[in-house]
Order: sequence, then structure tokens, then C-alpha cells
Amino acid sequence: MSQYKIIFTGPVGAGKTTAIHSISDVPPIKTDASASDMTKSRKTATTVAMDYGVMNLSDGEKIHLYGTPGQERFDFMWDILINGGIGLILLLDNSRADPFKDMKFFMDSFGDFISKTSVAIGVTQMDLSSKPTIADYHTQFQASGLKPPIFAVDARVRNDVSLLVQSLLYSLDPGLAE
Amino acid sequence: MSEHNKRPLKVALHGMDVRSCKTMMMFLQGPCKGAATVVNEDDADVDIFDGDAPVSKNLLSQHLQTERQKPTIVLSLQDFTHDGALQVRKPVRTDDMLSVLSEAKILLAEFARKKAQKQAAPAMATAVAGESEEEEETGFEPQPLKTYVLDQNERKKTSKHQTAMRFDEKGFQAYIGSLPDIDVNDPAQFAQASYDPKDYFQGYIQSAFMVCRAKGQILQLQSGWKPIMIFPHTHEVWLDADDPQLRAFAGIKLNPNSASKMSISPANAQTMGLGGSLDKFQSMDAFLWKLACWTSKGRYPHMIDYTQPVYLKNWPNFTRLLITPHALRIAALLMQGPRTLTNIAQVLNIKPQYVFVFASAAHSLGLMGQVKREADNLVQPPEVKPSKGQGLLSRIMNKLRG
Repeated sequence: MSQYKIIFTGPVGAGKTTAIHSISDVPPIKTDASASDMTKSRKTATTVAMDYGVMNLSDGEKIHLYGTPGQERFDFMWDILINGGIGLILLLDNSRADPFKDMKFFMDSFGDFISKTSVAIGVTQMDLSSKPTIADYHTQFQASGLKPPIFAVDARVRNDVSLLVQSLLYSLDPGLAE
Repeated sequence: MSEHNKRPLKVALHGMDVRSCKTMMMFLQGPCKGAATVVNEDDADVDIFDGDAPVSKNLLSQHLQTERQKPTIVLSLQDFTHDGALQVRKPVRTDDMLSVLSEAKILLAEFARKKAQKQAAPAMATAVAGESEEEEETGFEPQPLKTYVLDQNERKKTSKHQTAMRFDEKGFQAYIGSLPDIDVNDPAQFAQASYDPKDYFQGYIQSAFMVCRAKGQILQLQSGWKPIMIFPHTHEVWLDADDPQLRAFAGIKLNPNSASKMSISPANAQTMGLGGSLDKFQSMDAFLWKLACWTSKGRYPHMIDYTQPVYLKNWPNFTRLLITPHALRIAALLMQGPRTLTNIAQVLNIKPQYVFVFASAAHSLGLMGQVKREADNLVQPPEVKPSKGQGLLSRIMNKLRG
């Protein structure tokens, strides 16, 4: 059976674990905290340093939800993670000092993957920091020609995360029936 | 609102990783009810250190060797005693933290008093300047962490941050209402299936928004119904009415007599005391979007020529907007390129009314426009081919839509 994945990425604290938890059928496995220790000791087991959840589909198929570790020191894992990925969910924390810098970093890092699949961007913590606005994020993309879905997201709210993933799927195929 | 929330202490966090900072920020905001807010080091009244991690221990040690200008709080597993430093034992409990923050407030006043005394004595001032230079030379490690600036009131604007209400075909017609004299889904009647927003409350709201943005001033729209406050800088409106009331008003075609009651004037949010009803704030976009949906009732705005292609500037912020049937699909299709409204309905195999209502909402926000370039009219829109994994994507979609 094929391994289908949806990849969740973004800086630490953006809500990847929470978002995966919101739509996963199993409690997500969280390994961020122990990962730093494992990295120090250079064990190969650092590959588990990520968040993981599952969506069980009606026909028994599983969609694996992977959250990349936010720390840049784990970026060597990203290529492995995205293999077989359906698309990318990028979560950005609006209360961070420079979320546009974060966005650029992750869009660049996953550029090849995005060009082959698609990306949807969720901006979290907008109730803590209302600026930049969603329109400001769209403006950042004007020069690139990319027009991804960008939504305000509360990672704790299933409907928000679900809509974000749906926008990713419709971006891949608008013909999907509702 | 409690006294300490009115003037939260400004605290800087030191020696904590990003996740710990975030946790502490949420802890101060939530369980501590905003008694303190996390800010940049330079703006802080109080320094909070993690007293256990090796890196933060070094930072703390250096910090305590200098002459401190503000209170220091140390979070540690073990007892920690140092002259002038306050401790909160881990795991940090709300009562302990609130108690120590109160002590820090008193200390802060003490620091301020001492500073004032020093400034009053020139000789002392010279000494302080010398020590200050010394402190700079010592040079702390650059703070590698992000800092957070909280907007205390933003969280209380619950309507503004509420997740979207979503409709599928079932129940939507009853919700949005219908028009007795026209079948908007009949191709023979498409030409008549339009409306002029200016004939409705929507038009007045759109004009008011435009004026408000141009002036950059808080304005109040009087309509003979309920006053609406418009805040251009925060992109918000304030209205003391629920959705059913607004929906009913939106559908009424205004006659010249009603229109004459409309007026717009400068307003002051503080004197009107809106701070006590923050839940009545809504985003301008979400407000106008739903107003356009309710006004449309399945029609398209008359500024759009349904025989000519339209484009979508970018994806609407669907998680905070009223989601009409097939809205995400329509948006995704239009992001691929311009199409006519009727072509969208054909390609997606949906009733035209769903495209029209979406067009009405998107156009009201300035997200949809009529294609003006010749080239866009010459080229046929790309054919929508089912993706290779359409079966799988459909199953994921079904799962998500539950």
C-alpha cells in the first residue's frame, strides 16, 4: 500500500503539533523535545524528531501527517520527509518578530517540493498579534507570481485546519467534488 | 477587569528556548490573566530568567553581577537565593507567579525612586555612567530568542476570530433566502439575475468603508437602523446586532426616503465606551462578505458582465468568512485563470447561483474583477483535467468534511 503524506512545516511554536492533533485520528506523537538530545549524541534515531498523526480514510487507506521539526538544525530530514508528500501546509506564527522572514525561509527550503505539488499557508496567533494582516502576506507573494491560499488559522480548531488542508487539495484539483 | 490587568508588568524572558518563551507567554496571558506581558528586553520592567538550563545559568550569573536597574525573577527547580532576586519554584504555579509579580512591582517602584535620587545628584550620576559603560563592555550574549508583543484586547474580539460558518447546498437556500420573481439558475434569465449593491445597505457600507479608508479616520455610519462604527486602521467594524437582524436588513431594497437617513460622521471609540463590548467587533472583510452574500440571494453584482471572464486576485481568507456552497472550488478554479461566471458553473457542474453569490462577495471585497485585457478574452480557459490521485484526494476531502 502506498504511503501518502501531508507535510506540516513552519517555525517552532507555530502550531504544527496542535494542527496535526486537530485532524488526526490518533493522538499525535510529539518528539521535538527529545530530538535535541538525540541530535547531540548523533544517533541515527533523530529521524523520529518530528510530529506524526494519521487520518484513516473510509477504504482503509491512511494519510500520514508529518510535522517537520521547526529547528533549522533538522533541515537535513526535510528531503526524506517530503518524499511521497501530497502537498505542504506551512504554518506561520504571527506573533513572531518577523513572520515574513520565516515564510521566505520555508518557501525557499521547500521550493522544489512546492513546485511539484502545492502549498497552503496558515497564519496562527492572529488573536495575539493582528498584524501583519492576511492581505500583507498576499502582498509578499506579488513578485513571485505564486498565489497560495493564505488563511488565518487557530491550530486548535479543527474547522480551521480542515479548511486549510481542503484548500491545498482543491489547489491540486479544483474539479474535486464537494 | 482586575487592577493588574489594566497595567500589566512588561517582562523580558532570558535563557529560554522559543517553545519555553511561548509557553510562558501563554501562561502569563491565560492563567495569570494578563498580569504581565512579554516584551523586548529594552522595554521590560522586569527580567525573568530560567535558572536551570546551563546557558541560562551563565546569563543569570552575569546578570546578577551587574548593577540591576529592574527586578529580576528566577524560575528554578531548587531554592535560589540572591540579594534582590525573586524566585518562583518550578513547576510554576499561578498563585506563586502572581505573588512574585506583585513583589516585583513594589521593587520596580523602589528602583525608580533610587534612580530619581541618583539623577538628582550630579556626582552620583557620573558614577552611574561609568558603571553603565562597564556593563556595555561586559556584553551579554546576544538574545537569540524572538520576543512577543501581545495585544491584550485582540483576544477578546471573539467574533472577529471565530472560525467560518460553512454551508453546503442543503440548507443554504433557506438560509440565504430566495427571490420570488426570478430563477437565477435559468440561463434565459441570467441577464436579469443581477443587482445593484447601491440599492441596498451593502452599497452604503461599501461607500462608507471607502470614505473611512481614504480619510484614515474612525467614522460612524447612521442608517436609521443601528449605528456602525468603522475602524480603518484595524480593519474592523463594531455593530450591536446579531446576524439574523443584519441579514434581514441586508435584503431590503432601500427607497430614497431610507437613503436620506444615511449619514457618516467622525466618531471616538473611547468616548462611546466600546472597550467593554469587544465581542461585537468584526473584521471589515468578514462583515462586508456576508452582507454581500445576503444581499445577493444568488444574484451577481450588475458591474460584472456574466458573459465576460472574471479573475480572482487571491484566495479569500476562508477560515474567517461565511463559506457558501462550492466556494473553495470556485476560488481554486479561478486561481488557475480567468473564466466567465457561467463557465465556472459548467466546469464544476454546479448551479449558477453558487457562482453568482461567490462573485458578489468576492467583488465587494475587491478580490474579483472583470478581465480587461484582450488576450484574456482570446484564450480559452484551460481545461480542468482530473488529477491522477483524484480518487485519493476525494477520499481525504470526504474525511475532512466529516
